[in-house]
Amino acid sequence: MLKILLDRKEPSSDEVRQHQNFNEILAAHAYQQKVNNPWRYWYYPVLTVCLLLLV
Amino acid sequence: MPLQLSLQQQSFLLEEERTQIERAQQDPRFFAPLYERYHDAIFRYVYRRVDEEEQAYDITSSVFVKALQALHKYEYRGLPFSAWLFRIAKSELYQSFRDQKAQRTVSIDKVVLKQVIEEWTEDYTEQDKARLLIALKDLKEQQLQLIEMRFFEKRSFKEIGEICGLSENNAKVKTFRAVLKLKEFFHQKE
Repeated sequence: MLKILLDRKEPSSDEVRQHQNFNEILAAHAYQQKVNNPWRYWYYPVLTVCLLLLV
Repeated sequence: MPLQLSLQQQSFLLEEERTQIERAQQDPRFFAPLYERYHDAIFRYVYRRVDEEEQAYDITSSVFVKALQALHKYEYRGLPFSAWLFRIAKSELYQSFRDQKAQRTVSIDKVVLKQVIEEWTEDYTEQDKARLLIALKDLKEQQLQLIEMRFFEKRSFKEIGEICGLSENNAKVKTFRAVLKLKEFFHQKE
């Protein structure tokens, strides 16, 4: 269902800038990179096995 | 008065932007100047299409996160970088409508609404306003998008084409057809 809003007040550019900043985006991107990394489940087990083999 | 840039200045800015994109493709921290340049425009594009401010902020954030994730695939093909960001914004918006996280909204200034009606009828009445609002709801989504961008947001056909993935001429033709349809619905409600 379409909603039509007349003469809606828009936040000013300063308000928008205060609400969001690039560092948050960068942090979200880094988190996504980490989550999407297929090696994240294997990293520690593989490292442990390698260390055990070395010992 | 809008700032008129010479062709030389435009190509200089495009070249500078391409350098910034290449640097950001190497290291996402260099995406900052691009974010600063386009964040406000993307936020307003999203804000006018959803009914809650917080949702507009959330969708805008996910647009830039998606842009950063896909930046390595970005290739310059003659279109400005903003067009690529607007397309991501459009896709994120429609995803949230499908997920029912946001409601499809059209934000219109009453002055603009009056201007549109005055082109079709001699006297503007409150009844005409109500008729136009009902007629808008009868349009197909693509027709509504074109009317919205051209009349309520005052975008050029070139810009509309870039956002919708159409040529400038095609955007002009499709907008003209959408206006005809809207006029038809408007007069049907008499």
